[in-house]
Amino acid sequence: MKGNGQSAKVTQPSTQLLLANNLQKYYGPRPALRSLSFSLQKGHILGFLGPNGAGKTTAIRILTTILEPDQGYYMVDDISSDYPEQIRRRIGVLPEGLGFPRHITGIEYLTYFGQLYGYSKSDARVNSLRLLEEVGLQQRAKSLIGTFSHGMRQRIGIARALVNNPVVVFLDEPTLGLDPRGQQELLTLIQRITRERNVGVILCSHALSEIEGYCDDVVIMSSGQVVAQGSVADVVGRVQQNTLNQKTFRIRTSPDAVEKALEVLKVTSNVKKVTLVNETDGWLRVELENIPETSLNRKQPLSNQILQALIRAKVPILGFEAVSGRLQDVFLELTEEIIQ
Amino acid sequence: MNSITKHPSNKSVTNASTSRALPAWWLVFTRELVDLWIGGKAFNLILIYSILLGVMVYVYSFNTELSLIPPKEAVYEMLKNAMAVSMFVGLIIGADSLSGERERATLESVLLTPTSRQQIVVGKFLAGASSWPLAFIIAIPFLYVLSQGDEVLGPAIFWGAVTGTVMVLAFTGLGMLISCWSSSNKVSYFVSLGVYVLLLVPAELPGKSAGAAGQFLQWINPMAGVNHFLSKHLVNYRTLAEFWTWLIPPAVSFIIILGLLFLYAGPRLRLEGGRPSKLWVRVSRALGLAVLVISLIASPGVSLAHTFDELQPQASDLQITIDMEYKQVKTGDKVEFNTTVTNASAQDSPPLIVAMNIINLDASGDVVDPEDWSPQRTQYLESLTSGDAAELHWIINTILEGDYMVYMVLIPAPGTATSTSQPVASPGIHLTVAPFTRLNPAGVLPYAIGIPGVILIAILIMYRIRRRSIDMGGP
Repeated sequence: MKGNGQSAKVTQPSTQLLLANNLQKYYGPRPALRSLSFSLQKGHILGFLGPNGAGKTTAIRILTTILEPDQGYYMVDDISSDYPEQIRRRIGVLPEGLGFPRHITGIEYLTYFGQLYGYSKSDARVNSLRLLEEVGLQQRAKSLIGTFSHGMRQRIGIARALVNNPVVVFLDEPTLGLDPRGQQELLTLIQRITRERNVGVILCSHALSEIEGYCDDVVIMSSGQVVAQGSVADVVGRVQQNTLNQKTFRIRTSPDAVEKALEVLKVTSNVKKVTLVNETDGWLRVELENIPETSLNRKQPLSNQILQALIRAKVPILGFEAVSGRLQDVFLELTEEIIQ
Repeated sequence: MNSITKHPSNKSVTNASTSRALPAWWLVFTRELVDLWIGGKAFNLILIYSILLGVMVYVYSFNTELSLIPPKEAVYEMLKNAMAVSMFVGLIIGADSLSGERERATLESVLLTPTSRQQIVVGKFLAGASSWPLAFIIAIPFLYVLSQGDEVLGPAIFWGAVTGTVMVLAFTGLGMLISCWSSSNKVSYFVSLGVYVLLLVPAELPGKSAGAAGQFLQWINPMAGVNHFLSKHLVNYRTLAEFWTWLIPPAVSFIIILGLLFLYAGPRLRLEGGRPSKLWVRVSRALGLAVLVISLIASPGVSLAHTFDELQPQASDLQITIDMEYKQVKTGDKVEFNTTVTNASAQDSPPLIVAMNIINLDASGDVVDPEDWSPQRTQYLESLTSGDAAELHWIINTILEGDYMVYMVLIPAPGTATSTSQPVASPGIHLTVAPFTRLNPAGVLPYAIGIPGVILIAILIMYRIRRRSIDMGGP
């Protein structure tokens, strides 16, 4: 892997565990990854978000040394991508849809991988027992993996990812196929491990609630490029700020007041379009006119003006939310823009 | 970049105690052994293999005609089949080793460890070839029972071990190479099976029928080469010095395949199969084209243009006599006799060919296949000077009961490619063969049933031991 000479002068703070710089990958003429740059801090969980085909798995495979980038470089714990074997010693990975040998036990599986990382058999076994306890599988240490449930397999997959005491852990869709309780338990486990071990975790997921609820930072990708990155709050806030006073809201009123609300909103200034989302629930979608930045009243945003108009008309307001107020909205909006 | 990049050698994240750590190839090998032999396919394949050998030896003993095959031939046939099945087992295990793991999504976790690709491949290769020692040990009792005390047993075990090891390792490596470069496990199996059939079928065909190019193709086919060598050495009393060249292709294939696997494909092992480099695609195309061209050249229609334009009369002063007139024997007996070829003319003879023929005197009897009766039906002589004589020794193994005439034909070699010559026939030997079964079915049966039975019991015991050491509880 060749480094990018331009980026060689970048300096890293000591808490930075992973730095990716201008990573690019092409499959033939098709770009799978256009330019990926981000960093991961100690004790942080970074969510990798993007629709199917966004380049998440390609990015993970590059960062875990399975693929080589066509351009750019990355560093794990100050080790350059020129030393993939050494990087493998410092990372733990739970790939998406990882397969397991059915005819060996959990303890045998972990011991084997411990030995591949250079532990003696006895040390690897002690380490494996500790890891099984850490992921809550100590009771099933001697059970065949073939008898494990999906959730248990994901747990032992995480234990395997930790077998070499890594500094960066990659988890690709770890909750896929789990029931809601299983998802929550696994995410809590990941969060606990991150804090206790003070490692950096990259969590690749389709589930926006996972990223929003458990990640410190987020990288949103679409069509092989990063469309937003930063802390979850920052990314959501930034988009919110951009869309303040000029986008879309959802307002909920009582079902019998829906018609009146529609009448009021249609005549309210700056309202471009009002649509009934769900008559039973009373949700209305209100789209506002695009107003130049200079004309906006910062002290009284347009949303407040709309709500005042409804209150004056004695329309009960049961709910109000900016459509851009959640990560889901940010994700849909950003990825939609790219696709368009 | 280098200005900020630490060289990792002095940095340790893991607390691994490397002093007592085992080599990675050994770890992969032992892990793969467990996967293959406990709950894997190896035991099943070996069980099927032992049943196949059992059926073969049973057929040899119960079938009237086959039971009369001389021990040397029976041992050779058994050894050839045992090796062919073992090569197939090695090929199939090799074909699944990498592409299968890709599809079962278990390869990625191993590739993510610091273990070098080469060591992973070495470990898997050794595990893939692990079935051969057991397969060969299983074959030995069968060879013993078929040899019936014949001296062929020792050389058969020795040469079987040598050539079998070379071939099984080469086929296991070939399977792994195909597996490494295949886009899916299905493709890997399909290509491996195709290659096996392509090598096996020509190995079972006579090489001389397709001319010089055909013979060359037979020679370069490692399977055919080994079979030819074993057949000549074990059955036809030929020495290693005469036929060692037939061992060159198997040895070369072994070196090329393992070299490619360990030095080229192994270090380049990837998570995703297929998509070989452009260079490899070009080399494959060139190889395919070369095989096509050689096959065309090898076809009889191209290789030989026979014309029978004119008959050249030959000297009729050549004589051939036999030192036996009548003999009564039992089926399975060995009959030995000598012929004397004399040049009674005033001139030197051309090179001479002596061929043996066996005719069933009973019109309603079975047609004789001389190949079954004698390992060497044709002998060649250099030119005989005037008045000179040459003696030739012949062996017949009596296969079927009945009345037969054995006679020899002396053929002066034609002078040119388009001329012919006048053969001379010898007096015949009247052979009366009485029935006698040499292989005792009752003696064979314990081997035919016992060996697969022992393997089955071993499998069950192993499973039982394994079950005791693990918790079999559900999720």
